[in-house]
Amino acid sequence: MRITFQHTYAATREKVWELLQDQDTLVRTLPGCKRLHSVGDGLYETELGLDVGPIKGLFAGHVQLCEQEAPARYRLKLSGRGKPGELSADSWVILEDKDGKTVVTCDADAQVTGLLASVGQRVTGSVARMLLGRFFKNVETELRRSAS
Amino acid sequence: MAQVFGSTLKRREDPRLITGNGQYSEDIQLPGMLYASVLRSPHAHAKIVSVNIDDAKALKGVVAVYTGKDLQGKIGTVPTAWLPPDSNIQTPPHEVLAVDKVRYVGDGVALVVAENRYVARDAVDLIKVTYEVLPAVVEQEDAMGDGAPVLHDGVEKNVAFHWQAGNATDEVFDNAEVVVTQRFRQQRLIPNPMEPRAATAQYNPGTGEMTVWATSQNPHIHRFLLSGILGIPEHKLRIVSVDVGGGFGAKIACYPDEAMVAFAARDLKRPVKWVEDRRENFLITTHGRDMVLDVEFAGTKDGQFTGIRVRNIANMGAYLSTAGPGVPTILFGLIVPGAYKIPYAGVDVYGVFTNTTPTDAYRGAGRPEATYLLERMVDLFAAEIGMDPVEVRRANLIQSHEFPYNTAMGLEYDSGNYEGALDKALQMVGYEDLRQKQQELRASGRYLGIGVTTYVEICGLGPSQVAGAVGFQGGLWESATVRVHPTGKVTVFTGASPHGQGEETTFAQIVAQRLGVPFEDIEVVHGDTNRIAMGWGTYGSRTTPVGGNAIAVAVDKVIEKAKKIAAHMLEVAVDDVRFEDGTFNVEGAPGRSVSIQEVTLQAYLAWNLPQGVEPALEGTAFYDPVNFVYPFGTHICVVEVDADTGEIDLQKYVAVDDCGRVINPMVAEGQVHGGIVQGIGQALWEGAVYDEQGQLVTGTFMDYAMPKARFFKQFETAFTETPAPQNPLGVKGIGETGTIASTPTVVNAVMDALRPFGVKDINMPLTPERVWKAMEKGRSQA
Repeated sequence: MRITFQHTYAATREKVWELLQDQDTLVRTLPGCKRLHSVGDGLYETELGLDVGPIKGLFAGHVQLCEQEAPARYRLKLSGRGKPGELSADSWVILEDKDGKTVVTCDADAQVTGLLASVGQRVTGSVARMLLGRFFKNVETELRRSAS
Repeated sequence: MAQVFGSTLKRREDPRLITGNGQYSEDIQLPGMLYASVLRSPHAHAKIVSVNIDDAKALKGVVAVYTGKDLQGKIGTVPTAWLPPDSNIQTPPHEVLAVDKVRYVGDGVALVVAENRYVARDAVDLIKVTYEVLPAVVEQEDAMGDGAPVLHDGVEKNVAFHWQAGNATDEVFDNAEVVVTQRFRQQRLIPNPMEPRAATAQYNPGTGEMTVWATSQNPHIHRFLLSGILGIPEHKLRIVSVDVGGGFGAKIACYPDEAMVAFAARDLKRPVKWVEDRRENFLITTHGRDMVLDVEFAGTKDGQFTGIRVRNIANMGAYLSTAGPGVPTILFGLIVPGAYKIPYAGVDVYGVFTNTTPTDAYRGAGRPEATYLLERMVDLFAAEIGMDPVEVRRANLIQSHEFPYNTAMGLEYDSGNYEGALDKALQMVGYEDLRQKQQELRASGRYLGIGVTTYVEICGLGPSQVAGAVGFQGGLWESATVRVHPTGKVTVFTGASPHGQGEETTFAQIVAQRLGVPFEDIEVVHGDTNRIAMGWGTYGSRTTPVGGNAIAVAVDKVIEKAKKIAAHMLEVAVDDVRFEDGTFNVEGAPGRSVSIQEVTLQAYLAWNLPQGVEPALEGTAFYDPVNFVYPFGTHICVVEVDADTGEIDLQKYVAVDDCGRVINPMVAEGQVHGGIVQGIGQALWEGAVYDEQGQLVTGTFMDYAMPKARFFKQFETAFTETPAPQNPLGVKGIGETGTIASTPTVVNAVMDALRPFGVKDINMPLTPERVWKAMEKGRSQA
């Protein structure tokens, strides 16, 4: 399933890039993130507690940031396994400069199994968009905090 | 006495079922019972790298955890019981629990047995499996393609079998005046009986006897197969399926779950229960249909059919289910010429493995798919030559004086009055007026459609010799014992295994009529392999034509013996005794008579029996039909399609069916109603969908549309009665006719409504979106 999401920040690409690559920021901004532990090379072990519609439960897995081309784009991979099933996503996050602001586009290909697929697939797309929305909003909050 | 056969008696099983006093598998409670839960693969295709059960085993309340490796060598594989001949069929092993590889989402990986069902479910979540995910394939044509993932080692291009039948050569089509071709997609359906599957197993370590209470349409077949899987001889194995909440074909198959529950009960020496939840039912209980059909249909410009040829690529799922291979081959192929005089017919069938749930019989099993393509082709052909769809049918229907009729597929149709049923349906629906109304409404931009199907069904499975010849690994006769007790009460033991169809009522009617005892004095016993010697179960609309006739023959044996005792009591020769309405009379001596009850008492007291007659009174018959039976009829549907939204309004539905002599009109009508609803479900709403990775997307009732009562107006049903000439009761089957006829009837009606838009065909289900898109395409091309 392909999911795309876009958000515009009133900040430079460099500033947004810095936040998106920062581990502490990620812990605070990833929705339901309970733990994020670096195991090197941009790979993190993580636990996400999600509760959106049928997608409910603790997901243990990995987040990987790689193929970075600062400050233009990087690849974000996510894989998690919880009681409702497994989810995996492979996405490109692209940062573009637009009149001093930064447009961030996330283009993801997501797959789900188990209960997530048979019960949740109908809403997985909208839930994924909602979660991405929260993440980008949380990043905006971080951005404001660092500016103040 | 009153006429019992043919009268509308209320179903005697219903008070029990609707007051919660049924005996379903889930109702079984046994001391010390444990509960089982199965860990199922979340992947459609993957290698099992490792299974770690330590945490699950450590959970308080868990008694045992078994993996596929634990069971290896201790339990057999799940067999396929229908092997179509000359089809090069491949039956790769179907392990009870997957060992090295999972092949569909839902494939069993581990079994947990615990003190209660909650702990069992929790423990399943604690099992850690490492999978190496493999590419999956879900569409049968993709699975046959180059480079497709192969499910089973040694099965090239995933082709499980290739079966051909008939005589339709290229010449027939090359020389035809008119040839119409069309591709149809028979979408995959999920049966969804009200009661999911369940099994409760109890092992007696002292005697070595095993009892399994299971949801089964055919307990003796399950005893046969489970005996082999478990290594428990048949005389030590008992299968009980008294009340079963619907099957529709999905409870024919032998599944891994019942086998592993029984295995665990024996291993742990404690009763074990497993009840499928609804999500499991969607995932693992067999699905139906799923065929890609390419059809060529030939005829003359003036409307004579000359040939039909079909290529069927059937999706068999990940393993060959028990009766699965028989559905797209024998049950589908033999009925392709339908109710028409078509001199040449041929079928070419591929059964293909994919990473999906196995497919097997679903109400009608093969015959709905064949009838659908035929009735759709007849309409397309009629449109092509500019003939009314009713008239083109009339011109080709087999005439009542032509029976028995030999078809191009080698069947001998027993009896029929096809035009009689057609005329009755036309009159009930008011066909001529409707065509007039259709014209008028079109002028004002409203789209009425009239759909007609004239079908014939092959059922009453079946003569045992034929069953053997077509690769069914068993006979298909049926057993009955009619035991008259000393006081004249009767117990009927039937090898057929009704599970909602009402035979406790209709079978009692057969005995009441034939033996002349009160209906209330008759009990029908079914679904228990320890009470009934042998039986082949309920499917293929065989229960009444085969099981019912077995009872009739058994009653005749009772009467034959009773007549000897009556003659002795009346001190006359046996030839002078006449039996009528439960009384033995002396020919030419009015007033000299004894009742069946008086004779029965003497049979048991046995103080004074004629020479050579044994005490007691019962008859047992093993009835093997000489032929299939061929019910037929005409269904007509009227729809209006909303030109703006594509929504379909079902305005009228008329069904005229002929199942030979009708034992109980209300029960028969109930079967027709249920069948129509299921058939229209396929036409308009239902459809299983997998994503490309083999995940079942339609895994809940939120995503899989089941028909509901409020979707329908009252059906108008009627019967014509053309007795079956080849069985004692003159009966044919009625359980599947509605499903067979209604799907093409409704689709023909919608296509008829859409004719002004130039729409020829839409893949089922005909959702408003698909209908609207087809109309839009028509509008843009106009």
